[in-house]
Amino acid sequence: MRHERRQRQTSSGISFNAVPMVDVIFMLTIFFMLVSRFSSAEQIPMELPKPEHSQASVVKIPERVIINCRVNGLLPAESPQAVFSIGPNQPEPLDVIARRLVAMRQKSPNLKVVVRADRRLPYAQVREVMRMLANHNIGMLNVVAHVDEKN
Amino acid sequence: MRSRTDHRSTSQRQDSVIARVRERRLRRSRLRQGSAITMNFAPMIDMTFLLLIFFLVTTTFERAEGILASKLPQHTGKHQASLPIVPIVVRVQPDGTDHNAFTISIDGFDAQPTTFAALTSVLLDIQQQPGFDNETPVVIVASHDLLWDHVVASWNAALHADCRRVAFGD
Repeated sequence: MRHERRQRQTSSGISFNAVPMVDVIFMLTIFFMLVSRFSSAEQIPMELPKPEHSQASVVKIPERVIINCRVNGLLPAESPQAVFSIGPNQPEPLDVIARRLVAMRQKSPNLKVVVRADRRLPYAQVREVMRMLANHNIGMLNVVAHVDEKN
Repeated sequence: MRSRTDHRSTSQRQDSVIARVRERRLRRSRLRQGSAITMNFAPMIDMTFLLLIFFLVTTTFERAEGILASKLPQHTGKHQASLPIVPIVVRVQPDGTDHNAFTISIDGFDAQPTTFAALTSVLLDIQQQPGFDNETPVVIVASHDLLWDHVVASWNAALHADCRRVAFGD
């Protein structure tokens, strides 16, 4: 009788072994949690320079302002024009950015400037930013480039 | 009289034994029912699914960004006395109409590296010459219509050659 009861209990419903699935889900979750890096809104997607044997290092600058130099338009022309913006803000003319920088530096004198420029831009376009920084006595320039994956 | 009392005592014993056995069975059945501590895994699996979907949707695999630090030429302020050190001036300009082509030349040196890796080795060779070392300033003078990618690559090549003082020139 007991044996019959056991047989009925086991074969009555369609059993689903969820343990391997849960294991795989756990593994995937842990993988994505470790791999994910939450990018800052300041880092607007663009094609950054990819130098061979890149010497760029991942440095955390506490007091920084990022100036993004993007290509104007989706399809760049033969000589693409740059649009400049502070962090995730809307594009602004360089003189407006310069005024904002001056105001920011008054509040925090140790402010560092990081320039993120699209690799397809001509040097003359980025040079305008560099000149503006030099005119405002910002001697150090931090330029963003891709990090060498081998390092 | 004795036989009656004996009979009563044996029946009482039997009853007590039966009662004990029943009690044991009851205990066992209670133990079977309540012994396993059950845990409801459903909310945990739900949460894990939600986390997994979140990370699947938000994750973008991108190359890490780093920073290259350099000095800018200063136009303002007092003029300082120029150091009697001859800087290594690296000139980079586009080659013809092709935007991706470039030429590199170094003032005072015959070497004309064709790649940025070659520029690194040329700079390393210059450092071996008398009067030059890795503290010798390297000034990168780039043409206006040169791609920013090439400017950064030449700068990176100087840093790769362990040049400590790399700056941009006009």
